[in-house]
Amino acid sequence: MKQIDEGEIIGRVLAGDREAFAHLVDAYKGPVFRLAFRMTGSARDADDLSQEIFLRVFQHLGRFRQGERFFPWLYTVALNVIRNHLRKGKAVPEGESARGVPEAEDPRDDPADAAVSRERSRRIRGYLMRLPTAVREILVLRFYEGMSFEDVASLTGDSLGSVKMKAYRGLEKIRGMMEADGFVDDETRS
Amino acid sequence: MDPDRSIEKIIGEIDGQRPFPEAGEPDSRWKELGGIARVMREEATPEPPADLGVRVMARIRSFRPSPWRVLGEALVRPRAVSFDPIRALRAPVSGQECSFYFFMVGIFYAVLGVILLTGLPGLGSFPAAPGWVRWQPPIALATAGCMAAIGLYLLKDGKLALRAARVGALVYLGFALLNGVFVPLEWSVPVSAYVSLVSALVGLPTGFFLVRTLQNCGKRYA
Repeated sequence: MKQIDEGEIIGRVLAGDREAFAHLVDAYKGPVFRLAFRMTGSARDADDLSQEIFLRVFQHLGRFRQGERFFPWLYTVALNVIRNHLRKGKAVPEGESARGVPEAEDPRDDPADAAVSRERSRRIRGYLMRLPTAVREILVLRFYEGMSFEDVASLTGDSLGSVKMKAYRGLEKIRGMMEADGFVDDETRS
Repeated sequence: MDPDRSIEKIIGEIDGQRPFPEAGEPDSRWKELGGIARVMREEATPEPPADLGVRVMARIRSFRPSPWRVLGEALVRPRAVSFDPIRALRAPVSGQECSFYFFMVGIFYAVLGVILLTGLPGLGSFPAAPGWVRWQPPIALATAGCMAAIGLYLLKDGKLALRAARVGALVYLGFALLNGVFVPLEWSVPVSAYVSLVSALVGLPTGFFLVRTLQNCGKRYA
């Protein structure tokens, strides 16, 4: 969505046209849901959190400064809502994480390869859930969401060096957990 | 180990580059870390439930903010207001700028009212202080309230608000003049001269400024 459209939509919402907010929801429900899912590991929590995030965005839309980029602001709100949720200490039962979440098709032709790949991803998601929230969000934003370290730093409010440090430490911890579980396969080596 | 350099190596691993071939470092370590990051990056994207947008909008439609929240949001909402009092005397100004001047005058009278309110008990040594003088603190606070109300109304930036503000400014101007005259007439002590001076020196220029600014604001609707 172009920034100028967002500005116009936000202006309409602020002027009282609630239905215009549906355009923002349609445009960003995917990224918001993905972020919540990656951070909580639970489809149900991600669903609830996505609704909560959009409601919070709607409530605080008046604080959004026209002319700024909407997406980083939305992500900042989303991260705050998710952090609050995680602070309440709602643990995610491992293994339930991806249940009920439709995924995009795996490009691998071989079903066996795809199954191995899914299992590998599932395990790494499990390790990710065991990391501290501050480290997890950096790994999610950088590697799952594909953001640059600079964008991650501006979203989290950390310095660039600190973000890189946390990303490195996070990967190291996951590697350590994999090693402890005896789970290091060719894919993660190659 | 420098994390900056380490993370760059991992990113290089993922991208298939080998930018830092350094002797003595275990190559498999970068491969493993790069492999983990690659698995994350290449993981299939989870899709949100198909009806998520519908459910979000249902909550948005039924959302009713509390009056306190509405007030709070209105107060903290960022606004870009530029003001230039000298220019406001000559050129057309916006309703927001006019509103700002009324708020400023309101703040001045609120502070004055509080000072008079706390200072007047000291006038106990003047038993002959007439009622008009004793009314000065509430008059100042009422003026502050009226100015703030006009300021809020002007934020609507409408013709009706402008008309109401003009009436308010003229009433204020007349009242400042009367107040400046009445106090020394009723009470001939040095304090009354001070009240009269404040009322005249502050009230009259302020009143003229507000009236002039409102005239310039009205030019935008002409």
